[in-house]
Amino acid sequence: MIEVKNVVKTFDGFAALNDATLSVPTGAVYGLVGPNGAGKSTIIRHLTGIFRQDSGTVRLGGEDVWENAALKAKIAAIPDDWYYFNSAGIGDMMRFYKGFYPNFSTERYEKLREVFELDEKRPIRRFSKGMQKQAAFWLALSAMPDYLILDEPVDGLDPVMRRQVWSLMMGDVAERGTTVLVSSHNLRELEDVCDHVGIMDHGHVLLERSLAQLQDNMVKLQVVFPDGMEDVPADLPVLHASKLGRVHTLIMRMNAQEATERLMAYSPLLVDAIPLTLEEIFIYELGGADYAVKNIVL
Amino acid sequence: MRSKTSCFNGTLFRKNLSRYWPLWGLASFGGAMFPLAMLLELLHNGFRFWSPLETRQAYYTVLSYGVPVISIVYAILCAMAVWSYLYNARSVGMMHTLPVRREGLFVTNVLSGLTMMAIPYAVTGVLLVLVTMLFGGFEPVGVLVTILGVMGESLFFFGLATFCAFIVGNVFMLPALYGLLNFIAVLTDFMVNLLAQGFCFGLNSSYSGTVEWLSPVVYLMQKISPNNSYETQWVTDRLGGQRYERDVLTSVTLENGWLIAAYAAAGAALLGLAWLLYRRRRSESAGDVVAVGWMKPVFRYGCAAYSAILGGRLLYALLWESFQSGQYFTVLPMILCMIAGGAVGYYAASMLLAKTPRVFKTTWKGMLAVALGCAALCGAMKCDLFGVVRRVPAPDSVKLVNVYAAGSNYYLTPGKDDALIEKVRTLHQTIIDDKDYILGYRSRTDYDFVADTASTEMAVEDSGAQSTISNIRITYMLNSGLKVERWYRLYLTSGRMAQEGTYDYLLDQLINSPEMRQKCIRWQEEGFQLDEAWLDTRYNSGDLSSREAGLILDAVAKDAENGDWGVYDWFRVDNDADSYEIQIHFQYKLSESQFNRTYDAIQVNVREGMTETIRALKDLKLITDADLVTNRERYPWQYGKGGWDQYDQFYKQFNMSPEEYYDRYSEYPAGWFGTESDDSSAETEIAPAVDDSHSPSMSAGAEATGLGIIGGADGPTVIVTAAA
Repeated sequence: MIEVKNVVKTFDGFAALNDATLSVPTGAVYGLVGPNGAGKSTIIRHLTGIFRQDSGTVRLGGEDVWENAALKAKIAAIPDDWYYFNSAGIGDMMRFYKGFYPNFSTERYEKLREVFELDEKRPIRRFSKGMQKQAAFWLALSAMPDYLILDEPVDGLDPVMRRQVWSLMMGDVAERGTTVLVSSHNLRELEDVCDHVGIMDHGHVLLERSLAQLQDNMVKLQVVFPDGMEDVPADLPVLHASKLGRVHTLIMRMNAQEATERLMAYSPLLVDAIPLTLEEIFIYELGGADYAVKNIVL
Repeated sequence: MRSKTSCFNGTLFRKNLSRYWPLWGLASFGGAMFPLAMLLELLHNGFRFWSPLETRQAYYTVLSYGVPVISIVYAILCAMAVWSYLYNARSVGMMHTLPVRREGLFVTNVLSGLTMMAIPYAVTGVLLVLVTMLFGGFEPVGVLVTILGVMGESLFFFGLATFCAFIVGNVFMLPALYGLLNFIAVLTDFMVNLLAQGFCFGLNSSYSGTVEWLSPVVYLMQKISPNNSYETQWVTDRLGGQRYERDVLTSVTLENGWLIAAYAAAGAALLGLAWLLYRRRRSESAGDVVAVGWMKPVFRYGCAAYSAILGGRLLYALLWESFQSGQYFTVLPMILCMIAGGAVGYYAASMLLAKTPRVFKTTWKGMLAVALGCAALCGAMKCDLFGVVRRVPAPDSVKLVNVYAAGSNYYLTPGKDDALIEKVRTLHQTIIDDKDYILGYRSRTDYDFVADTASTEMAVEDSGAQSTISNIRITYMLNSGLKVERWYRLYLTSGRMAQEGTYDYLLDQLINSPEMRQKCIRWQEEGFQLDEAWLDTRYNSGDLSSREAGLILDAVAKDAENGDWGVYDWFRVDNDADSYEIQIHFQYKLSESQFNRTYDAIQVNVREGMTETIRALKDLKLITDADLVTNRERYPWQYGKGGWDQYDQFYKQFNMSPEEYYDRYSEYPAGWFGTESDDSSAETEIAPAVDDSHSPSMSAGAEATGLGIIGGADGPTVIVTAAA
């Protein structure tokens, strides 16, 4: 289990993390979403032991991460700007990682060679961005981690390789109970793989739920009101409303059954509840936090 | 549960060595060139090798002068290699994500760096030992001491570089800070003196060396040296069977070698401090100019202070110095120049720290503090708030007094020379009391008063009385290890010199006292060990044996006692007129702890009247009567009125310089340079001995001017007759 409690981190007076709290159950795939500058990468750097929090606690499996080498041996991280030695090939980096990670599996490394099909002797710096990401996954997965901390992990990978990588990670989650925390802007992709989601803004985790809970807590309805009723009744708790012809699209913070019951009071000609995508939840939740992308469709 | 972790990671260690092999490989290659060159030279010279002691001497020489310079450069390169990951967000992220504690990273990287430092020395050392063993010059003590010395200096310089590495957050700042810290004491000393001497009467040193030990490379190179002892032995030439005297090396020790151990301990302490800094270092400081919070104001105001002094002095020289009256700074322009200079440093540092040029609005309070600091410093110096100008150290605080006056150095030691020290202090106090008189005189004259050397003394006419300008330097070595040094350029008059209580009188009484004359040649002085002596005459020069040197020194001392040597005439410009072209040089070896220097040399110019010395030199068959020609006799044009005009006439007349002429004939023609003319000049003829190729116009000149040359028994004599 990953637990971040009331973490504060300031850089020259600027609070990058402001009382941030999140919790990732063991074996879960947790998607951390948020706008640029929300503090996602900062929280990840705390989880990997790079940064030390000003206050609060950062724990994995009940242990503090800071200067805990034994715990860090169970964590593999892929930052958005993965570092490799300038002249090193994947083979060199494999030997380097193997010297640090006691669970590093050469056998798995050999098996993954078939998946990634990269030239191990070629300097990594000569690889494309996507190939470098593949190399990072190859090594991270070979370290057999209990915790995978990923910052924008599939950025740069082609669709086939994305699917491959996610498939490998999901396999680890299923077989070894690996806990995955992944930050991404690609909400559609997270929707497919995450079972928990946390939304961050201004250094604070606004909400975190399981994806099912999140989708159950907000509903999108398409409604056609009776003749003479042009506008959405004011007493309805609508987060967002739009209209195309006579069809109103309403976003409401309640489950589908409750929302339908509330609308039935106005004898609508049509009420149809549609599940929200993660993108929509992201936009409308952050809309409440005064995020200025209310009407932008990603 | 936290598991046990090692402080050392072999993978990282190996990675460091393999990543940076070009660095230590190239250094090893460079180092290997020395034994290779030695080997080639030995092969070339037929396998003749030094003695083991000479090998030790060579090791110590390299350790004293080579290793500090190599280590200071190589240590920073090694430190930049192993700590480079700290300065990049990506690399610091990766290294700190690895399952190893920071102490593990620190220890492993320190060991990697030290290993990289040791490899080239080890390669060079092993090859050198092999070569010396091969040719019979192996010397184990020298090797061991050199290894320890190299290790100690490497530890110190790498420790210092590592300490710097944890203060900065930018790889370019690391060598800058390292270089600055290595020379900051010397630089600070220089800058403080640069400023102080423009305000304070008597301060004229651009460098005091008080805190030189804080500039390790300078200090190590100055203090550590091979201490060689020689013994003069009779050696038989293997080929000719002739016996001759030769100095043979009998022992070699490393002087002040303990300093390396002290610096090594300081290096270890610096590594400890670096570790403490690493524990508190924030990974996010990668890329910052300064990575440690409390160092930021030090950097900002340090830059401002140095810039204020150096830049202020430069601006003052450019903009105001030509308007300055007297030797000392005009306060207000100096304050303005310092504020301008300080502003440059302050804002440059602020911009570097903030990584933006937009700092003016947010940092104006600091700039105000810098401006007030500049004004306060100038004001304090002008008013002598620190008591620098008035300071005359108390006798019981003094370890040694050194007076430089009348072209000689005098060393006075408490206990033995208390009376003389008291005289020096009284003189010093009187000079300070007469400050206004001295400065008033200066402002009335056009002389350049930059007191650089006492040899610039000059005599001037002042309302008929004799007067001169003379420099005096008084240095007090204090028991605390500090040094108080003052230079004064004094206006001396014969009138005041006869007047008791004036500094003129006190200076004359001090320098011309019999005790000071004996001190001038260090006769029977404790702590002065005669190291070398040699004699220069016009025709010969050569080393003196210790017996010869001792006899001559005793003779000079007797002359000094009799007043025949060492009495200084302040007002006589041609002080060397009576001197012969005979100089005796004595070089003494000093105890550094006592005198703060290791060597001292004096020169005795033998002059007319030094009967004891001349007798001793003759008895030792070092000179003959032919050497007893005074400068006045030898170079008469330098001492008489119109002498240089005669010199020019002579040249035109004889087409050779008077020196050349004298070299040939050992005298000047009658009638020239004050010699009496011969009235029997009616009988004239061309001197056959004169080589016309050198003086083609001699006869022509003679015809034109009615000048004849008479051949004499001892050679040609030129006689000037009245011009036609």
